[in-house]
Amino acid sequence: MLGRSPIARFLTMPNKHTDAEAALKKLGDHLRLGWAKKHPVSDKSLESVKNTVREQWEKEQVAERPSKPAPAPAKNKSRKPSEPDMER
Amino acid sequence: MEQLIKLVKTYRLSSGLAERLRLVEAIFHLIAPDLRAFVFSAIVPQAAEDVSQEVLISITNSLKTFKGNSKEEFWEWCYMIARRRIYDYLHKKKKDRLQPMPHDELLDLVDASAQVAPMMAADRHDLEYALNLLDSSKPECRDYLWNHYVIGFDYGEIAEEQNLNYDNVRMKIGRCLDEARSLVS
Repeated sequence: MLGRSPIARFLTMPNKHTDAEAALKKLGDHLRLGWAKKHPVSDKSLESVKNTVREQWEKEQVAERPSKPAPAPAKNKSRKPSEPDMER
Repeated sequence: MEQLIKLVKTYRLSSGLAERLRLVEAIFHLIAPDLRAFVFSAIVPQAAEDVSQEVLISITNSLKTFKGNSKEEFWEWCYMIARRRIYDYLHKKKKDRLQPMPHDELLDLVDASAQVAPMMAADRHDLEYALNLLDSSKPECRDYLWNHYVIGFDYGEIAEEQNLNYDNVRMKIGRCLDEARSLVS
């Protein structure tokens, strides 16, 4: 008689709300997978991403340059460069 | 896919150009297919190619600032960037929102997905159920269900785009889902 009791019916009844949500999300996953299969990524797309990396790297190199100590002028080669504070 | 987060963490620490290019190429091959498909599910194909490229470039530009430590966090971060780019685009050109894809085209994509990942009978049943839910919904409800569940926009993003408040959108989507369920069952 378990099958007739309201509690048993509730326990065996699938949570339709959750099922519907899960099914729609699963559809999204499969559509993306299907799309990726039918429309593979181009080499051009990868190349422009790599160009972004190159540009970013070059900007970093430029930004780092001023922080490096400037080479001492040839005529002062023998002198030890003074600390900025000591020049005051 | 643990490989993905290892590559991202290594990229964050890398300083040499050659190493960065090698890493970004490996990351690209792991994320580009899913992210492009995500963009193509939201915008007309003519514009989707450009927007998906913008998404990949935005991710590459910000890769060094990504703070997470797991692949789940990384994917969440990538999709957040993708949704933001899609939203920016749709905000400018509302007419380019993807019109509902016909049932046959959706089935075609589902079949293509089965070539990548084997599909159990239960999966096919779930997918048919989902398609029926969309087909039986009124246009406005179909949009909400599509955007929230299929594309993955959250309530806040839909609310912002539609000039509605968060709870209003949450309740509308709940009602649309209930209505679709009652029509399909």
